[in-house]
Amino acid sequence: MPVFKAPFNGYSVKFSPFYESRLAVATAQNFGILGNGRIHVLELAPGAPGVTESVAYDTADAVYDVCWSESHDSVLVAAIGDGSVKIYDTALPAPSNPVRSFQEHAREVHSVDYNPTRRDSFLTASWDDTVKLWAFDRPASIRTFKEHAYCVYQAVWNPKHGDVFASASGDCTLRIWDVREPGSTMIIPAHDFEILSCDWNKYDDCILATSSVDKTIKVWDVRSYRVPLAVLNGHGYAVRKVKFSPHRRSLIASCSYDMTVCLWDYMVEDALVGLMASTGWDELVYVWQQGMDPRAS
Amino acid sequence: MEKATERQKILLRHLNPIPSSSSSSINHEPSLLSSVNCVAELSPMAAFGDDIVIVAAYRTAICKAKRGGFKDTRPDDLLASVLKAVVERTSLDPSEVGDIVVGTVIAPGSQRAMECRVAAYFAGFPDSVPIRTVNRQCSSGLQAVADIAASIRAGYYDIGIGAGVESMSTDHIPGGGFNSTNPRAQDFPGARDCLLPMGITSENVAERFGVTREEQDMAAVESHKRAAAAIASGKLKDEIVPVATKIVDPETKAEKAIVVSVDDGVRPNSNMADLAKLKTVFKPDGSTTAGNASQISDGAGAVLLMKRSLAMKKGLPILGVFRSFAVTGVDPAVMGVGPAYAIPAAAKLAGLNISDIDLFEINEAFASQYVYCCKKLELDMEKVNVNGGAIAFGHPLGATGARCVATLLNEMKRRGKDCRYGVISMCIGTGMGAAAVFERGDSADYLSNARVANGNGH
Repeated sequence: MPVFKAPFNGYSVKFSPFYESRLAVATAQNFGILGNGRIHVLELAPGAPGVTESVAYDTADAVYDVCWSESHDSVLVAAIGDGSVKIYDTALPAPSNPVRSFQEHAREVHSVDYNPTRRDSFLTASWDDTVKLWAFDRPASIRTFKEHAYCVYQAVWNPKHGDVFASASGDCTLRIWDVREPGSTMIIPAHDFEILSCDWNKYDDCILATSSVDKTIKVWDVRSYRVPLAVLNGHGYAVRKVKFSPHRRSLIASCSYDMTVCLWDYMVEDALVGLMASTGWDELVYVWQQGMDPRAS
Repeated sequence: MEKATERQKILLRHLNPIPSSSSSSINHEPSLLSSVNCVAELSPMAAFGDDIVIVAAYRTAICKAKRGGFKDTRPDDLLASVLKAVVERTSLDPSEVGDIVVGTVIAPGSQRAMECRVAAYFAGFPDSVPIRTVNRQCSSGLQAVADIAASIRAGYYDIGIGAGVESMSTDHIPGGGFNSTNPRAQDFPGARDCLLPMGITSENVAERFGVTREEQDMAAVESHKRAAAAIASGKLKDEIVPVATKIVDPETKAEKAIVVSVDDGVRPNSNMADLAKLKTVFKPDGSTTAGNASQISDGAGAVLLMKRSLAMKKGLPILGVFRSFAVTGVDPAVMGVGPAYAIPAAAKLAGLNISDIDLFEINEAFASQYVYCCKKLELDMEKVNVNGGAIAFGHPLGATGARCVATLLNEMKRRGKDCRYGVISMCIGTGMGAAAVFERGDSADYLSNARVANGNGH
């Protein structure tokens, strides 16, 4: 099983939308509390060790999230703890990177998500309670969405509607937004505790999952948002990230402070194909087939 | 540092959530603070309640032994005056003091220790306050301050006084140095060299490192010039405690009551021509004279230390922060090089480079070693002994370290923001060097205490 050992603690890992064997990893020193950060671009290859680093970029502060551009195959965007958003181009030599650095957020930028349908813009969510919308060619953010009362941990685009996104915040609300509207279009008080992550179902554009400090994952339908479709219990501590599978409509992967990665099916169905990658504060990045133990060599 | 603490709080709240009403602002949680302290250790130079601070430092005037203002003053009276001053001027209840350590060198150990206890009573300390002496030769006063700082940090007590006293009118170094009756010492070069008279070590330094008579005399002139200027400008009034004592006329034996408040060893008219006329004392063709060596003197000093949190609770002004202390051993034959080794060691312990130090007090035991050390460390002479040194004032052995604290911290306070770190250092007979790093008292600034990082990111 391919394993990569990073020097710092892992925060986020994403597959490239263009190359199925390419990954970007966001890492930070000292669990992201103090120190530097590093972005690794990894390549999967047959044979041992299975995964090798093709390039790495050092940053002055922790890297909390990274995402690949949907329009350029070599470009990635990083969310940095010092409030900056940096753009890297792996096709350019290391000294020219980062190609852009946007310093607008007043606090740590916790997540970055690229628009998969429009492919021209991306969102950042920050601990300064705002979500910002950006495009590469603009020197400044296009819009700032300021409604949350506490840290915004994640902002995710709807996979089908290019103008719609959801945000998860420590103020315990999940908000749905439409960039054409001035404010949020829906406010769902999804949990009684902080919501650390949210993600849209890739097969049903009205369904989302939220994960919370209350150790649960809840699945919501925006058409009937008063009651969740499902409440998934099982994690021992706060659930840090949740993601819907792009391969199977009801499969959710989650990771938690309880040091586990869990897979959930909120409906029942048959087996799947596809690789998963996860990274954690043990400085390891695992890539594995669902159903197998990534730690097996 | 604030940022790191904030991040830690946010992460800890993921694991220890407060049951929220939906609008949660960032509240202070006492249970989180203990885990915050481990992050604090990452930055030793930030301001924290645990810092050991100096809230008062006073000294008596320094007078020529046997001929100056304190020639008929008993050492316990001398010490009592500074012990009283640090407590009175801070309105501290003397019974709160946890311990007093007094640096003192020549007097017989047990007798001087007893005299110190007597001095504490003179100064108004009750039975319950203990006292002890420490002897690391010329560094004893500084060692006393370091011992108190270490004990407070170790949690033995919260408030301590580091002091020093020497009455070289009363106690003399035997002429020609000490004699060891153990013949075995002659078989060990280092042991044998420990017995060398200090003046011979000065000649050794001058010869081995090429410090000329002229350079030494120039250093002496500069010392007197700066000291005279400091006295004339009234700078030293803040640190000197006037002592009411008596003086006995050597011929008539008549006693006169006097108040001593001015250093009487300084010769404002010191010049190269006069110094050149002096004969060398230790070696016929040498370079060390009475004019370019420290004077034999009487004096005392005391420094009051406690934790920053306690000083703030008591509303006491913070004169300085004790940052580090280092003592190293060197070749006894050239004991004067001590500061050249101790200063880098102390600076490193404080996480600093020598270039970060803004002010130095380096004891001028002999101009030869003083000049050598400054050259070796490539110091800017505008930052060293700016108000004169032991050649002008005198070197009351045990008191010097403690009196340098008063002089250094007061000068740093005068210089303000430009002067953040200071070092006190001295060479030590039998081959050692000691140094301590201090930070200016009011320089604690939570935001700007971080040192500039060298281009690490993009």
